[in-house]
Amino acid sequence: MSTVALERDVATQGRVIVALTERALRVQMRRAQFLLPSFLLPLLLLAVIASGTSAAQQLPGFPSTGSYVGFVVSGTIMQGTLLAGLMAGIAIASDIEGGFFDRLLSAPVNRASIVLGRVLGTAVIGIAQAVLFLSVALAFGADFPGGIVGVALAILLAALSASAAAGLGAAIALRTGSLSLMQNLFPFVFVLLFIAPAFFPRELLSPVLETISVVNPLSYVVEGMRGALFDSSALGSVALGFAAAAGSVLLTCALAVWAMRARVRS
Amino acid sequence: MSTSGLAYTGGVGFALWRRSLLELARVRGGLLPTTLAPLIFLLGSLGQFGRLDQLVGFPTTSYIAWLVPLSCLQAAGFAGGATGANLARDIEAGWFDRLLSSPAPRPLLILGPVMAAVTRCLVPVTVILAAGLVLGPGLTGGLFGIAMLYLAAVSFSIVASLWGITLALRARSQQVGPLIQNGVFVAVFLSTAYTPLPFLKGWLAVAAPYNPVTYVLQMGRQATVSGIEPSWAHTWPGLLALAGMVALFGLLALRQLRRVDR
Repeated sequence: MSTVALERDVATQGRVIVALTERALRVQMRRAQFLLPSFLLPLLLLAVIASGTSAAQQLPGFPSTGSYVGFVVSGTIMQGTLLAGLMAGIAIASDIEGGFFDRLLSAPVNRASIVLGRVLGTAVIGIAQAVLFLSVALAFGADFPGGIVGVALAILLAALSASAAAGLGAAIALRTGSLSLMQNLFPFVFVLLFIAPAFFPRELLSPVLETISVVNPLSYVVEGMRGALFDSSALGSVALGFAAAAGSVLLTCALAVWAMRARVRS
Repeated sequence: MSTSGLAYTGGVGFALWRRSLLELARVRGGLLPTTLAPLIFLLGSLGQFGRLDQLVGFPTTSYIAWLVPLSCLQAAGFAGGATGANLARDIEAGWFDRLLSSPAPRPLLILGPVMAAVTRCLVPVTVILAAGLVLGPGLTGGLFGIAMLYLAAVSFSIVASLWGITLALRARSQQVGPLIQNGVFVAVFLSTAYTPLPFLKGWLAVAAPYNPVTYVLQMGRQATVSGIEPSWAHTWPGLLALAGMVALFGLLALRQLRRVDR
């Protein structure tokens, strides 16, 4: 392929990705009943956990972070991004059952662009969630010594985390094509969340969970967020958080593209 | 009412209860979501917050003992709420209109799903209690404590069912399902879900004493929490709260049914 043709192809695929990202966001906004839980449920759990378990700060070994809500908000962001990923999967399954997906497949667009459009749309939702949750935490007394840079890094981690969750949701939706199965996956979002140090420091998790959390990439992402927000390497490594998040995005998007190819073949 | 009238009413009520339960036989894994979600919450919360039992003044040395009644109530609430969602499906499918055109006494149209909720909730509550017992807490409250836990869970499933039926009759659409379950979620967690009243901070410390579920939880926790010994003092507030909620949501459901009937 000549350089000019290659440039034209890249530009075309870029436009396709942008168009599909915009559509993903428009559809999500139209179906507010699907999108709202990914904003409201994490906020509700944040409110309950911040008020209901803040006595944990008295436990020996609990890091001194000033405000408890500031500590747990990283877990809230993680929960939001996981739910946004699930909603992305539900939207894809809905497209498959509704026939829109077949129309997409018959268009002359790269298969990977279809996945990327949905993933980028979810990343935007992840950013909106992170901004909202961090603002609420600030309004309720959180203090982030990491400053604007720390907040920006945490939001970027949220975008990557939402992308990874969307990739996973897309992979399952494309593999199964079942809307009801996707809707029944809701409890498993909490499994992924609870096997990471989402709301408590890793050292204070139960021994079994502490062991499992070592192999869960979300552990490093949530700790990276805390490290960035509190400018403290003792709370988590930001670099490790980005490595885990980027690795998860690559892996889950590859799974989604593979599932897409399997669907096209069948 | 005459004997034949009573027999007829009982027969209709039994048939509606049986129909609600038949769905469990038809839909494989129908009880799975109402069992699995609270179980995941139980295990997840235990893993995350398990060290809270080390706080000075915490009423038990086993955090799972604190959580098991919460998860039982959550499961009972979800099972109750599911009957409301099923009623919404019956309304959309037109089945409920056929019931309304029958001469069946109107309260029975509500009583059938409520009785089904009571029966359905027994499975997840027992599974969660068994899982909790395997993982640690003894039944410190003895038989009386177990009876109070089951009474709290069963009665709460009635409350959740009446709440679900009210919303289903009002919305007449299956889309009301998440709202029903979110209502149960909010009611259960805006209470002493994770820690006792003295450990709550901020707005939850203000809200939880006014949430009737706080007292229902206290009633159920007599079964497993050593610091809440079985006593009338730990029982009557829960009974009162349940009676109030059943009366309130029962009236709302009946009022909504009358509107639909008109």
